Amino acid sequence: MNLELSDEQTALRDTVRSFLAEKASIAGHVRPMLDDPTGTTEAVWRGLADLGTTGLLVPTEYDGAGMTMVEAGIVLEELGAALHPGPWISTAVGATRALTRFGVNNAAAAPLFTGIADGSITATVGPLDGARPVAVEQGDGIVLRGTIDNVWDVAAADILLVLADEPDGTGLFAIQTSTAGIDITLQPGIDQTRKHFRGTLDDAPAQHLGTASAEVVEALVDDLVIAWAADALGAARAVMHLAIEYAKVRQQFGQPIGAFQAVQHLCVDMYETVELARSGVIHALWAADAADRDERHLAAMRAKAFAGRLANVADNAIQVFGGIGYTWEHDAHLYFKRLLSWNAFRGGPDHYLVDVGKQFVESVLH
Amino acid sequence: MDFSYPPEVEQVRKELRAWLAANLTDDVVAAGRQRGKGDATFEKLRTWNATMADAGWAAVSWPQEYGGRGATVLEQLVYAEETTRARVPMPLNVIGMNNIAPAIMQYGTEAQKRTLLPRMMRADDIWCQGMSEPEAGSDLASLRTRAVRDGDDFMVNGQKIWTSLGYRANWCQLYVRTDPDAPKHKGISCFIVDMSLPGIEVRPLVTLSGEADFAEVFFNDVRVPADALLGPENGGWRIATTTLSHERAGAARLYTEMQMRLTELVADLADVQVDGHPVLEDATTLRRLGEIALRIKYLEVLCQRSISAVLHGGDAFGSASLAKTIWGEVGQEIAALAFDLIGSQAGARRWADYRLTSRSLTIAGGTTQINKNITAQRVLGLPRS
Repeated sequence: MNLELSDEQTALRDTVRSFLAEKASIAGHVRPMLDDPTGTTEAVWRGLADLGTTGLLVPTEYDGAGMTMVEAGIVLEELGAALHPGPWISTAVGATRALTRFGVNNAAAAPLFTGIADGSITATVGPLDGARPVAVEQGDGIVLRGTIDNVWDVAAADILLVLADEPDGTGLFAIQTSTAGIDITLQPGIDQTRKHFRGTLDDAPAQHLGTASAEVVEALVDDLVIAWAADALGAARAVMHLAIEYAKVRQQFGQPIGAFQAVQHLCVDMYETVELARSGVIHALWAADAADRDERHLAAMRAKAFAGRLANVADNAIQVFGGIGYTWEHDAHLYFKRLLSWNAFRGGPDHYLVDVGKQFVESVLH
Repeated sequence: MDFSYPPEVEQVRKELRAWLAANLTDDVVAAGRQRGKGDATFEKLRTWNATMADAGWAAVSWPQEYGGRGATVLEQLVYAEETTRARVPMPLNVIGMNNIAPAIMQYGTEAQKRTLLPRMMRADDIWCQGMSEPEAGSDLASLRTRAVRDGDDFMVNGQKIWTSLGYRANWCQLYVRTDPDAPKHKGISCFIVDMSLPGIEVRPLVTLSGEADFAEVFFNDVRVPADALLGPENGGWRIATTTLSHERAGAARLYTEMQMRLTELVADLADVQVDGHPVLEDATTLRRLGEIALRIKYLEVLCQRSISAVLHGGDAFGSASLAKTIWGEVGQEIAALAFDLIGSQAGARRWADYRLTSRSLTIAGGTTQINKNITAQRVLGLPRS
């Protein structure tokens, strides 16, 4: 048993952290991207790719690093801490894991994998829930027809991987987003650092990549839930640190407010929640590749079930900041919204808490 | 990142599991639950402690020269998991073995080590710890019990409170003030005191549950020989705060204990109905269970992280204090849930008792509030209040 980061993992974390601080800071990059539907610039994306992060999960035979969700999680925590608005999670985790989970290794996969790894392709996958489009044979090829909802980062993506119903399972299809037949609309949500889209596919030409069972789709959704949880952990950690550092210097009544026990206890409550979340996240990241189906799925459910508590970290942080934390100018609200959107993703925590409770009862009684 | 245990550790698990299957009986488990209630259960547990000790399973974390196994951290972790899951009663001398024995090993004379340690492990002797006082609770260093040098002896006067096993113990590790003029942390000494000395009076301290789990111990001109001093005179605070328990995977008990409690609660709820509906099909109950099960799992990983930090030299991130806080809160949530659902039903006395006694989880060993102050200042670097 070893839950420490290796030297390589620590180096990865530090490299990503300093890149984001220098090239994609909140003031210099995140805020300017709030109203940009792509959420990224060519330079920032190129930088993340040059660090090797976009290909972390790409198999080595396609020039990727062939690493696990643990390494992806290290990057995600830093992206969350920096409120990164770009399509990294959709490309490097969503699309990449869709290809590997579906076991796509045909000729069509190679350019996708290598493009993701070298940064020349951005991609996303969906819909993860709700109605799926249908695939229709047309002429020599296949077209997709229907609406897709809640798909991230479509404006930034070169390739949209679509989950569509097939008679013998779920099909994975690739669509060039530049093609005719796609119409997308940005859905403004509470969190402007996340870009959600609704789209219509009107006989959009598509390439069939593979077909898989519901269990494979579940595994892909779990991957994304776990990835999101790592991102949210980073956001919670960052806003907590901002609040604690503020409490050390903000003077009222002739002393730093962090000397008041009531403020100290708010800070410790945040710390407890963040460290509990970290515990859940590292277990889930490990389970995504190393555990069996039940343990992985339960780990993902737990992460969602904990989202409400994690969002409270931002509530408490704003409470510590007081009035300044309530302003648009201050960054606290950006973290608050990032955590709230994780809380709302695929439904609030109650349903998942009930699920975790049911699982526990099952494990005792059966 | 690896959550699995190495095969040689799993081998220890297998051996222990087999030994427990062959030796642990239901009446011992029952006695463990009735801990502290009545002489018969106490003697049964004493016999069980000796059985474990003689088989080499009583103090696995102790060095081999003192009758332990010198178990590695992961072996200790597996030991904690297995003994909790099998519902092995905690050793009667749990405080002695974890907190007092290491001090004896570090500061005691050869004679003390040879005679006291094996008898402690077998529960031939029962040990208590004289720390808290009426005016020294969370603020232990302000203790007032005095020991004044008088020839070859020290004359001890004062009062201790919250002394677990005080009325059963024949030995006490006692912290007293030997230099009233020094700063409060620097005037404290540690003694090993024979509880049969004249002038020691023990009164059971009845807690809110009606049980005498603790004692008050009064010292009235008690003449303690100078060679009962453990460690240097006025060096007691160091012993109290820096003696390293050999039990380095103790955190594992926090989550295994709560896993077992929640498991037992769910088993007890299997047939319970409220207003004609099975409670285990009720979404509100399941949500509360889920909240608790989730936190126990995360507590488990938090504890594993702290153990991993010990093993591999990682950052311990103030985890001990966090884990204790979470453990206490989770225990109280289990107790509240149990009592809300079945506390008033016949035969559920155990959960009603737990509803009462779980209050102590956030008090004993330092209150959660003081813990949070310490974490705020030492881990988060906030200024002293």
